[in-house]
Amino acid sequence: MKAVKGKLYFGGIHPKGAKELSSSASLEFMPLPEVVTVSTSQSLGKPSTVIVEKGQAVKEGEIIAKADGAISSNVFASVSGTVTDIKEGVGAGGNRETYIVISRNSPDGATTEAEGGAFRFPPLDNPTAEEIKTRIFDCGIVGLGGAGFPTAVKVAPRTPVDTLILNGAECEPYLTCDHRLMLEKTDEIVRGARLIAKAIGVNSIIIGIEANKPDAIAKFEPYEDIKVVILKKQYPMGGEKQLIYVTTGRRVGLGKLPADSGVIVQNVATAYSVCEAVELGKPLYERVITVSGKAIAQPKNLWVRVGTSVKDIVEYCGGESEALKKAVLGGPMTGTAIANYDTYTHKTTSGILLLTAKEASADEPTPCLNCGKCADVCPMHLMPMNTAFYSAEGDFEAAAKYGNVSACIECGACEYICPARRPLIQAIRKTKAELRKLNQERK
Amino acid sequence: MDNSIVISTPPHVKTKQTTKSIMLDVVIALFPCAICGLVYFGWQALMLELVAVASCVASEFVYFFIANKGFSNKCRDAKAVCLRWWKQFDLTSIVTGLILALILPPATAWYVVIIGSIFAIAVVKMFFGGTGKNLVNPAATGRVFAFLCFAAIAASTAYTAPNFGALMDVESSFVSSSATNLAGLLPSKGEPTSNLHILDLFLGTGVKGCIGETCKLAIIVGYIYLCVRNVIKWWQPLLFTAVFGLTAWLMGGFFYETYTLDIALFLPNILSGGVLFAAVFMFTDYVTSPKGVIGQIVYLIVSAIVLALLRYYTHIEVASFVILLMNLFIPYFDKFLIRKPFGFKREKVQKEGK
Repeated sequence: MKAVKGKLYFGGIHPKGAKELSSSASLEFMPLPEVVTVSTSQSLGKPSTVIVEKGQAVKEGEIIAKADGAISSNVFASVSGTVTDIKEGVGAGGNRETYIVISRNSPDGATTEAEGGAFRFPPLDNPTAEEIKTRIFDCGIVGLGGAGFPTAVKVAPRTPVDTLILNGAECEPYLTCDHRLMLEKTDEIVRGARLIAKAIGVNSIIIGIEANKPDAIAKFEPYEDIKVVILKKQYPMGGEKQLIYVTTGRRVGLGKLPADSGVIVQNVATAYSVCEAVELGKPLYERVITVSGKAIAQPKNLWVRVGTSVKDIVEYCGGESEALKKAVLGGPMTGTAIANYDTYTHKTTSGILLLTAKEASADEPTPCLNCGKCADVCPMHLMPMNTAFYSAEGDFEAAAKYGNVSACIECGACEYICPARRPLIQAIRKTKAELRKLNQERK
Repeated sequence: MDNSIVISTPPHVKTKQTTKSIMLDVVIALFPCAICGLVYFGWQALMLELVAVASCVASEFVYFFIANKGFSNKCRDAKAVCLRWWKQFDLTSIVTGLILALILPPATAWYVVIIGSIFAIAVVKMFFGGTGKNLVNPAATGRVFAFLCFAAIAASTAYTAPNFGALMDVESSFVSSSATNLAGLLPSKGEPTSNLHILDLFLGTGVKGCIGETCKLAIIVGYIYLCVRNVIKWWQPLLFTAVFGLTAWLMGGFFYETYTLDIALFLPNILSGGVLFAAVFMFTDYVTSPKGVIGQIVYLIVSAIVLALLRYYTHIEVASFVILLMNLFIPYFDKFLIRKPFGFKREKVQKEGK
């Protein structure tokens, strides 16, 4: 359908896109790594339960950890090989995770997919809604936008839903993985979206794409059943609540799910993997990752197996340059800074950024000026400076009350704009954690 | 990868604007006004500006030095304390000094400026914790302090005539009876008034007034610069001046035997005295204005109305007093006038028995 312009909302920032670094690099397959280290915490909710043993031979695509409980997802071996170790470790985010280490059998890949060595579910032809839902759960599909909410839970809403929104905004600077995927796999994304729509029983599909990707917008316009909405270039346009508002005009209430407003939001990459899961039976153990930043030799958009170490990826992209100041897993606005390369990609890792000192500001914080810029840009209309003020004083309840922390989506716009470089997101996360602790003590 | 890399919470990219760059922008925006002061009122005006800036920076340094125990142990740590001061120096005291000088009359004695500066920095700003912690606008408070302590600067003799005479002859048909020449002194009922053309008021030629407030063109140049550099919100001074002009215009009708509303009286009200300067440089001050957008709008509207009313009844320039007064209400603005979170719905009261 012909593209229409989306609504506008108050707040938001306009960071430098820096997407030109990698936006012209076509998707390419990264050579299989010798060893993959797959974490069992691949989605929101509980970590999965390990079902393989040390020394066991596994095939590519074979399940190695089972979903534990309702909000959890299956985890698969991303290469064929032998489980050499099951170890505990600390993830990039600082939380304890269980890792399954798989070493490949032979260096020249005797058990690759081409030779029939990979495990596949039987492909489904014209599946029913129930079949699609089961397949999404079986294939361990999670939201690939970043939060990693299990898709199987999302496609089974408790309230009636009438619209499916595909998130192609990709508002984070630097990242181009969704952009490249939309350009090169347009048809698969549309087929995946139709399958999700069938699973939840809706007819209207909307895709929101930021105005800085006109080529991707043009790619989706020929599909008659997809409504294309051009979004203003603004961060955080791809935030779930913001996206729903600008595309449909509905406001999701505080503490409510999008499904309560009759909407389901899925990332374009998720739609692509649903398409693969249903049509090819391929579980989710591979995704597109943007490797970018001024401190990397060759910015690329890569198909990377889950559990590949950051070191392998950086080496494949030509290594780091001298000026490296900050290494980030994910996007520059919400990603995690890593201290060393012994970190492994997850299903939700959308990028690896190596930033120079010029790109990643590391100024010391100065006193707050009360300028109110953080409140101006907050897409949720909160008062981040209050949270920072009260949490610094140790009064976390006041911090939560006057800063309305519970509604915060941690987009990072406030800290981006702060001229005094106050660590606002840190204060907000600290407040959230302290509140959780307080609530537990009360119980 | 070596040990020089940085780890922090996101976001990892940040805006280029820092406190220092903002303050530098404000200093640059004040430059046209400062230069106009020199051109209009001679070297004396420039000397006052320099004295104010120097004494503000000096009193900040001395306070910092004492508070950080620079004198203890026979000044052993003096060098380290000086370095620390230089590291945290963010040009705010230069801005305060410059604004303070620009809102004083050109014939102010130099010691009055120094006392005002020390009061503004040491008492108003540093006592409360330095940059960002002051409750009221330091420059406005410094002026009010000087104004109350030294009656001489409030007297009309403090206002020397500028180097230029009026450019335009006022035609008898042109109604500008409420136009003012002295720092916004409004004539009382029936009093003979000096007539000035709007263009003269705008350029400040032939107008007695404070150093930086006289030439409105320079203020507007500064306003445009601040807007372009994204330091202030473009609508804030406009909203303030519009509401002020409207109120003053409605009140101005009472000057005549029969209540008259002449649209020609709208501009002289805005262009006289220090209203424009206060609107651009003082009511937009970050530290002493509400944090939320709704609070800022209400604050500006209320301040404008209060200023217009006080000016009407007191016949003196009261912009700094109004700033001081309204600053004290800001905690209430911050507490009650805040935006509801996105998606907030007022909980409907369930009626029982249904």
